[in-house]
Amino acid sequence: MPAPTATADLKVGDVAGYADIAFEEKQRIVSLVIDDPRFTDYLYGCYECGICVAACPSARFYDFSPRRIAQALARRDVRLVYQQIQEDIWECSQCFSCLRCPRGNNPGGLVTIMREVAVNNGLASAREALEGYSRIIYKIMSTGTQVSPDMLQPDAFPDWGPEVKDVSDNLALWRRALPPETLHTVSTGWDVSDQTLIELYLIWFETGALNMIGEVDKGLHMILEEVMQDRLEEAGIEI
Amino acid sequence: MSGQRIVVLGGGPAGLNAALGVADLGQQVLLVEPREFLGGTPVAERYASITGSFEDAETAMARLAGRLTESALAEVRLGTRAISLEGSPGDMRIGLEGPGGSEVVTCGSVIVATGFQHFDPGRETQLYGYYEYPDVLALQDLESMLKDRAVVRPSNGQPPERLCFVQCVGSRDRNIGNEYCSKVCCGVASKEAIEVREQLPNCEVFIFYIDMRMYGYWESQIYWPAQERHHVQYVKGIITEVLERNGRLLVRGEDTTMGRPMEVLMDMVVLSVGMEPSAGTREMARILGLAQNKYGFIDAPGSPLDTVTTSRPGVFAAGAALGPSDLEDCASSAGLAALRAVSVLRQSEMIGT
Amino acid sequence: MSTAIPVIMKKKEHFDRGEDSRSQDFHEKIFELEADGEWIVQRVPDDHVLVPTKYGLEKKIPRGHLWHHKSCGQCGHIPGYSTSIFWVMRKLGYDYEDPRDQTSCTAWNYYASATSNSAAQAAVALRNFATAYASGFYPLIHCGTSYGHYKEVRAELLRHSELRAEVRRVLAKLDRPMVMPEEIVHYSEWFYAMRNEIRAHQVRDMKGIVVTVHPACHYYKLVEGDAIYDPDIYGGQRTAVVTALAEALGAEVRTYSTWFDCCGFGFRHILVQRDFTRSFATLRKIEVMKEEANPDVVLTHDTGCVTTLDKSQFAAQAHDRNVGVAVMSEAQFAALAMGAHPYKVCQLHWHSADYRPLLEKMGIDWEAAWAEFQEDIGRLERGELQYLTWEDTDA
Repeated sequence: MPAPTATADLKVGDVAGYADIAFEEKQRIVSLVIDDPRFTDYLYGCYECGICVAACPSARFYDFSPRRIAQALARRDVRLVYQQIQEDIWECSQCFSCLRCPRGNNPGGLVTIMREVAVNNGLASAREALEGYSRIIYKIMSTGTQVSPDMLQPDAFPDWGPEVKDVSDNLALWRRALPPETLHTVSTGWDVSDQTLIELYLIWFETGALNMIGEVDKGLHMILEEVMQDRLEEAGIEI
Repeated sequence: MSGQRIVVLGGGPAGLNAALGVADLGQQVLLVEPREFLGGTPVAERYASITGSFEDAETAMARLAGRLTESALAEVRLGTRAISLEGSPGDMRIGLEGPGGSEVVTCGSVIVATGFQHFDPGRETQLYGYYEYPDVLALQDLESMLKDRAVVRPSNGQPPERLCFVQCVGSRDRNIGNEYCSKVCCGVASKEAIEVREQLPNCEVFIFYIDMRMYGYWESQIYWPAQERHHVQYVKGIITEVLERNGRLLVRGEDTTMGRPMEVLMDMVVLSVGMEPSAGTREMARILGLAQNKYGFIDAPGSPLDTVTTSRPGVFAAGAALGPSDLEDCASSAGLAALRAVSVLRQSEMIGT
Repeated sequence: MSTAIPVIMKKKEHFDRGEDSRSQDFHEKIFELEADGEWIVQRVPDDHVLVPTKYGLEKKIPRGHLWHHKSCGQCGHIPGYSTSIFWVMRKLGYDYEDPRDQTSCTAWNYYASATSNSAAQAAVALRNFATAYASGFYPLIHCGTSYGHYKEVRAELLRHSELRAEVRRVLAKLDRPMVMPEEIVHYSEWFYAMRNEIRAHQVRDMKGIVVTVHPACHYYKLVEGDAIYDPDIYGGQRTAVVTALAEALGAEVRTYSTWFDCCGFGFRHILVQRDFTRSFATLRKIEVMKEEANPDVVLTHDTGCVTTLDKSQFAAQAHDRNVGVAVMSEAQFAALAMGAHPYKVCQLHWHSADYRPLLEKMGIDWEAAWAEFQEDIGRLERGELQYLTWEDTDA
């Protein structure tokens, strides 16, 4: 794999909303994308057929193009890829309609890698994208289920109709009116066993997933680390 | 001069040319064709015209077949297929099965010219609706309509007011497994586009493409005239799916030069389907024991400098059995295959076998 | 008149995928790795149904003895979805395990925030597979995203030995073996495979009910070769799940031009960028369905799609858009066809778009049903009952 280089200087204007950085730093960040083990599975080459764009929901709504993502990376265009990491990648819907690519590319997968790099490096786009999202990360990482019945609050989902308030008003009762025994919970999707959580926490620690949070939300990282460590210590496990 | 024959399998453009070549070199040739007629796919699929020259396809193929059947050195067996092959170069025995039963024929060498088949759009992952919508056609379907000078929408019998071609259907596609370019579809689609414009001057014609591959004289014979004289509209961007809307066909894609998604209505959509090895090519490769490439075409290990010698000594291949080929390719490889096949006999004669 | 057209139309009657155009079978590699001692392959039980998939391979769908890999979004926000899956399985007489030792796939968060990585995602998947294996039951995945993501995880593990090594290291800390199921099976595949058995238990006539189907992206777009394609449904050109079941139950499935579009869920968008989700779900999906097919109900087979298509209509209704159609999973629809209670089993009071006209068309007195449910609620409130039980659902 050739190292990323500064290719033909496509005029990239000054970038709004985040500080410009040295080319070498952009090169380092883009290299992290290209060196990801999945990169060669996700990008072969692009002949600009446009199938991915036509299939893409985000391209209809935003100035977003999975083809431009694939092309910029195929060209190893450091400036453009960095700009996309800062400006474009969070618009992707991750529906993977773009997998129709006849070349076998996976632009949505490239976006996943670019997002991971943005998170790992605490880039402005990642911090901005994850603002207001902390409670979700907290939920999934600490309980093993992402959404819980008690999230259905009318003030959180005012656009979902009055039924949200009905659910919220009757929550405890309505959860008891569910025949499957595992669903008698309000703070988790289902009743997750203690042993399961311990194993999940070990996975977050061992794979570095927990550390990723520290780059984008230090406060959240601290809380999660504490919750998990306490639970693991109770179980007699040293990290 | 040996009295031995050369057997040619297949009576299409390559097989006819190869058999003619053998006869022109003064050698006996037996051409075996499973169909009941000569001329191959251009005749079977009722092509309207030859891409490049615009000559009537049936006439052109009949001229080639006529030259062969007039030759005293040539014998043609229709409704016949090969079922076995034994022996070595210069001394081979090929089993044939035809209307009169089966028999074993001796020969010096064999030329396989069993050709291609059109990609079946049912396997296309881009959702083009060939099996869902009557007005979605393949290149060869439109050929047969052009031949009848009756280009109409199968759904209602009316001539289309807007017609588009979608290029690279079943070609250049890793998901389908056909990573190759089928070579002829750009030229054929553009030729058909010109013919549609000539037969239906009020019909707007669009070609959605990834790259237009109009090499050599096709550029000046077809591509430029299509744009300059016939006002065929070329749009860079391929179609993602074909849908029905209010009795017309809605095609979705990206206009890549504009960088935006597009949705346009058409009356007819023509899929520029690529080439795959024919069932006969796969079957002959199996029966004759010939190595195939990963796409199922017959492998020519010495390619590109020797395009016709197969993995089995004494067996040569010509035309689209070897891979995507236009008619020029068929004529060229057929000539080389004839030369190689005859030279096997000459060499075995010289060493006295 | 042209002689061409009859020939062309004859050719277009039926698509047949030839032997030569089947894809390579990934199972070879899975079993090769088992033979090399890299992992255990959990076999599909002998009691299974063979179903056709996109590139012509056959897939084994187990009938019973299933380990339910639940969906956090279903259990949390659409509990009638999970309940209906269990209820139908009970009615058909198949045993199952509803585990507490199960986490979500965590892929909703991963696709939304990317605050995870390949190794973590694969470890979460394989930990769940290992617990299913230990139980002796075969995993059945409720969520479309879990199903899609697990197939993606499998593909990555098959390609990258260093990822397998890393996951093996992590699982060893958990004292868990590496286990890969022979087939990754989505619940909607079970409903497809069981559609005739479900029909045999049908008590409510679905004739005259007009259905539109939204096929879930992560079911058939991610690692597409596993998805069920049936030559008899859409000529084998679209996935057959949901549609085949709805048709088997006698409903009329109508198509619409944006069927391939995603629902607008977007993973992060549904939570923090809902203007996109609402616009896409209503403008590209619900309104198009209403205009072109005018359905009584939208059926789909994934957590996110039910949520998005159901919850996004309220705001659009306020702006007088052409929306307003019931949305549910085909599991709930099948349960209703089999006589399930709309509230005790299907839990439709958790849904936002108005389902009552649909129930009326099905001949269900929803007011009486709601009164019955309220009686149970009363018993729960008075402490006469701690939880609603399976026996109560059929009372």
